[in-house]
Amino acid sequence: MHIMQSVVWAVLLWPCLVSLGVPLECKDEQGSIILCASISKEKLLDRVIQHAELIYRVSEESCTLFEEMFVPFPMRSQRNQAGYTCATKAFPIPGSKSEIQQISDKWLLHSVLILVQSWIEPLVYLQTTLDRYDDAPDTLLKKTKWVSEKLLSLEQGVVVLIRKMLDDDMLTTSYYEQGVAPYALQPEVLESVLRDYTLLSCFKKDAHKMETFLKLLKCRQTDKYSCFLH
Amino acid sequence: MMWRDVGVTLILSLILPVVAQGARHTPPGKPKLTSCRSPDKETFTCWWEAGSDGGRPTTYSLFYHKENSETVYECPDYHTAGANSCFFSKNETSIWVNYNITVVATNALGNNFSDPVDVDVVYIVQPHTPENVTVGVLEDEDGPFLRVSWEPPSKADTRSGWITLIYELRVKLEEAEEWEEHRAGQQKMFNIFSLHSGGVYMVQVRCKPDHGFWSEWSTASYVIVPDYIPRERSMWILIAVFSAFIFLILTWIITLNRSSVKHCLLPPVPGPKIKGFDQQLLKKGKPEEVFNSLVVQSFPPRSTDYEDLLVEYLEVYVNEKQELMPEGKDLQDVGCLKSKSQSDNDSGRGSCDSHTLLMEKCGGVESKDESSYEEPELLQGQAGSWERLERGDSQVVDTPDSSDGRVKTWPLVFSPSIHGSSDNHHYGTLEMPKQHSTSEITYSVPDHLFPTSTSFPHHHHPEYRDSLGEYSEYRCSRSPSTGVAYHWEARHPTQAHSNFNIRNLERQKEATGLGLPPSRSMEYVEVQKVNQENQLVLKPLSSHGRGPFQVQFGRAGVDYSKVNGVNNDNVLLLQRQREMAEAGQYCNYREKEGAEAERYPTQQQGKTTKDGPVATQLQESTCLTTSGYVDTAPTMPTF
Repeated sequence: MHIMQSVVWAVLLWPCLVSLGVPLECKDEQGSIILCASISKEKLLDRVIQHAELIYRVSEESCTLFEEMFVPFPMRSQRNQAGYTCATKAFPIPGSKSEIQQISDKWLLHSVLILVQSWIEPLVYLQTTLDRYDDAPDTLLKKTKWVSEKLLSLEQGVVVLIRKMLDDDMLTTSYYEQGVAPYALQPEVLESVLRDYTLLSCFKKDAHKMETFLKLLKCRQTDKYSCFLH
Repeated sequence: MMWRDVGVTLILSLILPVVAQGARHTPPGKPKLTSCRSPDKETFTCWWEAGSDGGRPTTYSLFYHKENSETVYECPDYHTAGANSCFFSKNETSIWVNYNITVVATNALGNNFSDPVDVDVVYIVQPHTPENVTVGVLEDEDGPFLRVSWEPPSKADTRSGWITLIYELRVKLEEAEEWEEHRAGQQKMFNIFSLHSGGVYMVQVRCKPDHGFWSEWSTASYVIVPDYIPRERSMWILIAVFSAFIFLILTWIITLNRSSVKHCLLPPVPGPKIKGFDQQLLKKGKPEEVFNSLVVQSFPPRSTDYEDLLVEYLEVYVNEKQELMPEGKDLQDVGCLKSKSQSDNDSGRGSCDSHTLLMEKCGGVESKDESSYEEPELLQGQAGSWERLERGDSQVVDTPDSSDGRVKTWPLVFSPSIHGSSDNHHYGTLEMPKQHSTSEITYSVPDHLFPTSTSFPHHHHPEYRDSLGEYSEYRCSRSPSTGVAYHWEARHPTQAHSNFNIRNLERQKEATGLGLPPSRSMEYVEVQKVNQENQLVLKPLSSHGRGPFQVQFGRAGVDYSKVNGVNNDNVLLLQRQREMAEAGQYCNYREKEGAEAERYPTQQQGKTTKDGPVATQLQESTCLTTSGYVDTAPTMPTF
């Protein structure tokens, strides 16, 4: 009797069951809604953090490679030459742990997203310039290519994360455009070399920022109090 | 003048050092920033080294400005981190921002700027060493192992994820030289396996942020590994002990059964054995003694009952050569006493079987040894029976030479050969035996080769008859000198009857025998009788007077006996010299057989030793024509 009841209910309510199993709606590029498989916030955050870690590691390796190949010795060791500083962002990025701890989760996530989105185009540009180098090692090219791809998936993950954690459905993923190269200088000239070197260094730094933000965010998710005690 | 110069010089020399000393004070040398380090990514410290101080007390100051601003700040704290250092607290520290730092050395005379250094705190993180490094020994099924555990440096905030540290540890035996390094990742615990039992290990740990420098190694922790036996080794030890144990047991068992094992692995080669035959004596060269032991005194059986004897025919071997030393082998040296098996046509007797009947090598020694015969059992039975019979017979010939022994030679011995001229009557030279002594042959009739002299206990001995069944026995005797041995062969009874010439003797009182020149020691044998079963009962003539059937050889001195021939069945046909009438009967017999008597050419002496089948056909000699002898050589029976 009970079994019969539950079966009848199931038959009647099957659309609801279907929708319940899919809490998230994923939008592809065309904007149509497709069903996504659900994933928990923690797991998603872990994956995002892994992405960020990997991106940072690869960017660090690329920077070192580039530095060894093209940058003359006196200009090394992460010195920002005059005029070639990292681009400032739209909003201030917290600069210390205490500042970061004062920022809310929302702002942390948004900061990450902004950072990610700001680097998508420059990395594409960097790829094209590196291709023009005559003796750019293959590994360097592969790494930069990989980083730009991973950055896109990181962006997607952060968007989903924002949607999950903040219930903010307003953001959309950025489109990839074949941007116009702002600086059309000759490759392998010192200026372009230094510019590219600066680009890589700044990207490396920002990758570390993303990683740190996400890790701090993760701590907050698990144990808010202990995170702030230190 | 000169004084003035000296004075000036003196004054100058006094003043100059003072002036010079004043001149050593210079602006300070250029200081140099050596390093800046941050232990926790929240604060950092910079160190510099001073240049020359220029002789004056010099002060150092550090100025910095951040990446995007031009505001220059001075170092907030010069003392916390020690001399020539600047410590930046949390409030002054910004990460992801480049600091441009400069150190200025100032003294009374001037100042000097160091080269500016760009520092991003993120990239200069070098944590402290891990803390609370503990090493413990734990037991596992494979043996003990080390468990190393530690904690991150207290200043590094790894809990909130601000810093992510990865660890590395290194291990070595105390006396070893090289460290063994292991990456532990982000975990705070590590296991080390495959330890040396009883060794002392040193362990150190260090850490590094994913974007910074390695920390210093922690202080060494010592640990002693207890003694243990590795599992593999213990298994091998067990196997070795077990194998040794089994090996010992096997050795003990083999030792106990030493003889049987030896017998199994190295089976003894059967050697020829003649009962009573002493090889040692033989080697010493005393054949007489050797053969003495083989003589059966009681042979031939002397029972008066000759019924038991079933001798079908006689075979005579002539031993022309003097052989004192038969070769120690069984058959040839020994008397060829062979019992013929039913299916065996081959005598297999070596020289004994030569058709010449001149068995030089036919040892007169007839051994009762079973090994020398094909059918030892039979022979033994026969021999025994002979013995028995012999004993019972008082008339049995004693062979003077032979001790008791077996009589190998039938007294009828004549030479098959040849030396004689054709005209001569071929007398069988039964010279025998006297000379050679018993060592070789034991003749039942030592000197008299009378067929009659030897009396065969003619009764069938039930034993051997039974054993033989259809038996034939054949004896060959050899004399060291040329002796001719008769072979009495007991053949198939059916055949024997017809062939048995000697049977005729039975009727006669005189048995034909081979006369031997009395000068030589010849034996006369008297055929006593031929019994119903065609057994020739011989009796030595000399030893006895006249037996029941005395066969006289005719005149004394005549040593030979005539052989009429050999019939088809290889039976010697003895001729009685005296009685031709009987010879006629012989002939009758022969005719009965349908065989023609022939004379066979005498065989050469040299061929006496010839082996091989004897001419099967023993043709009968002419009946009576000659008083001569028939060479029995060709008349050797074949088997």
